[in-house]
Amino acid sequence: MSFVVGFLAAITFALLSPALQLMARTRGWPVGAVTLLAIAAALTHGLGVTLGILVVPQFQYWDAASIFGFCVMGYVFAFGAVYKSVSLEILLSVVDRPERRAPLSDIVERQVPDLFQGRIRNLVDGGLVEPVNSRFVATPAGRKMAGRVGRLRRAFGIGDTSLYDFSE
Amino acid sequence: MNMLPGPAQAAAIGLSAALPLLLLCYARIAATGGSGRRFRLGSVSILALYAIACLALPGERHFDDVLGGLFLLATAMMFCYILFSLLAWGFTLTLLTALVKAERPLNLEQWAVAYMQGGDLGSFTHNRLKLLVGAGMVIVADGKLAPTAKGVAIARLVKLVRLSTGLG
Repeated sequence: MSFVVGFLAAITFALLSPALQLMARTRGWPVGAVTLLAIAAALTHGLGVTLGILVVPQFQYWDAASIFGFCVMGYVFAFGAVYKSVSLEILLSVVDRPERRAPLSDIVERQVPDLFQGRIRNLVDGGLVEPVNSRFVATPAGRKMAGRVGRLRRAFGIGDTSLYDFSE
Repeated sequence: MNMLPGPAQAAAIGLSAALPLLLLCYARIAATGGSGRRFRLGSVSILALYAIACLALPGERHFDDVLGGLFLLATAMMFCYILFSLLAWGFTLTLLTALVKAERPLNLEQWAVAYMQGGDLGSFTHNRLKLLVGAGMVIVADGKLAPTAKGVAIARLVKLVRLSTGLG
């Protein structure tokens, strides 16, 4: 029964989370998509535990938490996969064209530079980078984050190109 | 309410905490290969250790305890993979680290070159396209990109996930 309560809480999360994302967009809330996911997860986990305590005589917290965590993380995984994937952006742009074909040059010369500029805007909006005349420079917050990322990459033996390694 | 995890669940919680540590250790061993391969190896190792723990722990095993433990392990693996993939293949994060590494203000073209470590956005595009072509989602013919039936199906799935997660 505790598993059922955890699963019900996960379903509530799957309903609340998109509602929060839509409300944030339409009402212009200055809250990031990931923060909204965390808020939805905390709220629905709390609701699930409360429900479990009220309706299950021998409520097993970890049974409920395990299935809730699994379903929510699966959701976040799918969310992250489609959120800002460059490869999927390219695929969607080709599929959405009426003739379902795109010149390679158009992708290289127009779409990817547009994506590049979009990500730069994200960095500027996030206060990690600032424009100086026609150039860009990292803010102290940006340098701090880059330092942390660099240390983590070195510790985990991860390269700093972000390119896929097809030799693996 | 019982807040205590079962024996298998307790083992899964411990192994979940050990996964990042195991990945740190594997990063010191060259034979473990690239980041993607190392992550797969880490996940398989943790699952094997969980199976051993389920067999070796004293007392009778209960199905809900083992199932809950598996859910907890899978949650930890997905969580670690999300962070790991962000470090390894994150486009925006790598843009930031490239700018900081350059140690001077950069314009868009210079930033693209710094990001690609001497290459250009064309090389980046081809790396991402290689993933789509390799996965059988698009084909390149006569300088044009066209989706396969699989690519169209994936694009529809992506749109469905975006819609159902509130990303539009």
